[in-house]
Amino acid sequence: MRVRQYGSVVCRIGRLVRSIAFLPLLLLSGCSAHSLSRQFLIFHPAGPLSGADMRFTVLDVAVMLGIIIPTAVVTTFFLLHYRKTNTTAAYDPTWSHSNVIELVVWAVPLLTVALLGYYAYRGTYAVDPFHPRLLKVAQAGPGAVPPRLRVDVITTDWQWLFIYPKQHIAIANELVIPRGATVDFHMTSATVVNDFFIPNLAGMIDVMPGMRTEQVLVADKLGTYKGYSANFSGSGFSWMGFKTRVISPKRFQDWVQSVQHVPLHMDYAQFNAFAKPTKNINGKTYEFSDVKGRLFDQVIEGVLKGRVYTTQLPPPGSA
Amino acid sequence: MVNVQGPWSPIFGRLSLGAIPDNPIIAGAFIFSVVLGILVLAYLTYADRWGYLWREWLTTVDHKKIGVMYIIIGLVMLFRGFIDALMMRTQQVLADGAHSPGFLGAAHGYLVPYHFDQIYSAHGTIMILFAATPILVGLMNVVVPLQIGARDMAFPYLNALGLWLTAVGAALIMLSLFLGDFSHAGWVGLTPLTELAYSPGVGTDYWMWAIQISSVGTTLGAANLIATIIKMRAPGMTWGRLPIFTWTALSTNIIALTSFPLLGVALGLLGLDRYFGTHFFTAGMGGNLMLYSDLFWMWGHPEVYFVILPAFGMMSEIIPTFSEKPLFGYVTMVAASFAIAGVSWSVWLHHFFTMGAGPRVNTFFSIATMVVGIPTGVKVFNWAFTIYRGRSRFETPMMWAIGALFMLLVGGLTGMMLAMPPVNYSVHNSVFVVAHFHTMLMVVVYGILGAVTYWFPKVFGFRLNEPLGKRFFWTFTIGTIMVFIPMYTSGFMGMTRRLDYLTNPALFPFEVAEELGIGFYLVSVYYFVRQLYVSLRDRNANRVGADAWGSARTLEWLAPSPVPFYNFAVTPRVHARDELVWRRGQGLDGVAPTHYEDIPMPRNTSVPLVIGAFALGLGFGLVWRIWWLTDASFIAIILTVIARSFVRDTDYVVKAGEVERIEKNLRQRAAEVARAGAAAGGIDVLRPRESSP
Repeated sequence: MRVRQYGSVVCRIGRLVRSIAFLPLLLLSGCSAHSLSRQFLIFHPAGPLSGADMRFTVLDVAVMLGIIIPTAVVTTFFLLHYRKTNTTAAYDPTWSHSNVIELVVWAVPLLTVALLGYYAYRGTYAVDPFHPRLLKVAQAGPGAVPPRLRVDVITTDWQWLFIYPKQHIAIANELVIPRGATVDFHMTSATVVNDFFIPNLAGMIDVMPGMRTEQVLVADKLGTYKGYSANFSGSGFSWMGFKTRVISPKRFQDWVQSVQHVPLHMDYAQFNAFAKPTKNINGKTYEFSDVKGRLFDQVIEGVLKGRVYTTQLPPPGSA
Repeated sequence: MVNVQGPWSPIFGRLSLGAIPDNPIIAGAFIFSVVLGILVLAYLTYADRWGYLWREWLTTVDHKKIGVMYIIIGLVMLFRGFIDALMMRTQQVLADGAHSPGFLGAAHGYLVPYHFDQIYSAHGTIMILFAATPILVGLMNVVVPLQIGARDMAFPYLNALGLWLTAVGAALIMLSLFLGDFSHAGWVGLTPLTELAYSPGVGTDYWMWAIQISSVGTTLGAANLIATIIKMRAPGMTWGRLPIFTWTALSTNIIALTSFPLLGVALGLLGLDRYFGTHFFTAGMGGNLMLYSDLFWMWGHPEVYFVILPAFGMMSEIIPTFSEKPLFGYVTMVAASFAIAGVSWSVWLHHFFTMGAGPRVNTFFSIATMVVGIPTGVKVFNWAFTIYRGRSRFETPMMWAIGALFMLLVGGLTGMMLAMPPVNYSVHNSVFVVAHFHTMLMVVVYGILGAVTYWFPKVFGFRLNEPLGKRFFWTFTIGTIMVFIPMYTSGFMGMTRRLDYLTNPALFPFEVAEELGIGFYLVSVYYFVRQLYVSLRDRNANRVGADAWGSARTLEWLAPSPVPFYNFAVTPRVHARDELVWRRGQGLDGVAPTHYEDIPMPRNTSVPLVIGAFALGLGFGLVWRIWWLTDASFIAIILTVIARSFVRDTDYVVKAGEVERIEKNLRQRAAEVARAGAAAGGIDVLRPRESSP
């Protein structure tokens, strides 16, 4: 599944950076290297797309450090060596031009940008949220095509609703996906702009009212991952998180069946009640069965026709 | 007109007693401001300084005084923005994890979400538009006419108008602290959160009108500076001899003149949405919220370069002076400035890579963004080669310039990371981005603080205290490192921006480090204030001659320090790129003119101040929807402008004899200062160090 087309060297660099970079931080935290390192969600991808994000990060940093560290060292050396009090250093009070140096100082950044520009092009297509090239390459390879799962995402002020349209179920403030499946997200917002983000699994992509954005993710590793909105959306924004549970396909089937029998249902009218501004301070989750298939489209249409879920004026004098 | 929530009356609009916040922190800030205000007013009355204030400052059109007032506004707002930062950092360190305590009615920390959101929005708006921008405009105001040998700006009256419109914007923001609330939708004004449905209060209106009014001032100032640089250069000041700071001022003001109108349009359309119920940026009814993002960042990204290019110019002035050597690659530096200015127009979309544009669009803007790194990299290398084979001296301005250079290296690294969409997707709205743009703005702040120290003696005639300046620098730098390194780190832990409460307790150690860092900043503010106080107290011991640093290079150091109101007694003829070095080499730097001429000067006028007062009425009326005040102020502004256009007597002439008398006094005083300095066993302050071999 995982495609290492950018070279295993980059991966090895990634592991090295991971193990070195956090040593000084131990002083701050007083906890073990392993548990602190796990907190660096960006460096612990649980799927190929977030893995590609991380590898491009490491590649970019490595190339840039190749220039920035020598520049910093040389500048520091110049400053100290050519200090006024060092009377043995050369002093050239009129020198201000050299064609060779000027050629080099333009060429070095130019070549760097050319190199990084190429990787930017490769990377942008590789993890494009609509049609990631990375997955296309992966799925063209040998082995069975992984199953696809469609999830519709609707954000409200300030909750998440994940609808599984084929299964006619929905779950609020929690996302459940089977390992190995390609999950296609269609996303919209009932109110203002949010940003769908699961650091271990999926990069950020805006969730906008009256529009549909998409994201794709594949989870390789079982586990529970943090997801949240990354784009400020009002007073309840800090509590706008959702747990992402990656479970085995078998357990996912069981879970779907169990949700199909829960008593809460969801149609457009019930959605409008659900979408009243709510700060989900206690991290409550809800499951819904018998979810109407057109709900996602109805929410978009409603917003386009001018439906707003108005915020009330805060009481006077409340800062 | 749309209907708004809450009561409205024809006389007071939405204003009522309920608009006064009952928060104890705001009450404290209010008492502090009132006491400070009373003290200032009492001093002015007691010392009988009202007339002086009116004649010499409030009605002045002198570019140096206007520049100084711009900088004072900027510093006051910088302090306000810093207090906002302090409050945010304190909130985040207190509100970390489910078991964190809550005070003052907040579930966690001491700020309720709505209050915290206003603070971060105010912090951003203030720091960019009411601290960095006015200080830079002020420095350009002070320095550019001196560097090109002009007597004043091309349009002195317009210059004063720009200042007072900026002051009105700052005043509106300060008013929002004590009357009503401020926007909670970020300094960028996230649509559709800024729409009436999601921001029904007056906060967004304060934000919108404060920026709108002050941006008119900035646009006027940009036109003025461009005209000044093109038309007011002294004889011999060819384009090839133009000091590098003036070059960056030209490039930056071209950016301002072409981009600020876009901001006006974006906010104007938002205003139509909020006041007339149109649907430009609403989610539904045909509105398009992405249109706002495009318009805002088409201004917003050039604005980033608007603030950083002058900082580059300051570094390019300071580093040669304290390396005692010309700037390496002058032509390249000018080309790089204009390359940055040019490319700044085609990168705005990287502020919303995550908005779902296709890979073609994102790739284009990604590579365009990286291209900015080329001229910027060239600049860094050229500064390094300026230091090469020089004689570095580590006086305070040089320390700030070196600090800016290293900030630029870090900011460049993280900028090149963010420019790449696959990297950007994982940190786009995280505190990593916050740390990145603060590092870049630190380049600006370091440049500004270096420039203020560097040019201070030119304006006031004495240097700032050196040891306290060093302490200021080091405490500030430790603060910067301790705040922003942990912030970068927490970005990789997935911490997003604008959180009033952190769900992840693992972030706590980083928050503590940042809080300690902000403590160092607080100490640095103390050293800065103390530096100003001590320098002012001991000013007679620190007086300087025309060349305050002994190794200055450009034309402005030819004029006496402090510069008389007419700048140069006789307009200088320019012979070289580093005119002062050339004159020093010819032994001409201390030579007095043989004869003097009449100098035409612009007359003081109170019209800009009056227009500013009406603009404040206009802004206040619009915020609170007090239509009679809005209408009256608007009509008054129009009538004032018309009335001013009939005033023909806008200039006066300083007679040659008067100029000669002033210059004679200046030279006499300079000689006394030199004698006093020598008697005290000090260095010859008039020409403290001769650097040419």
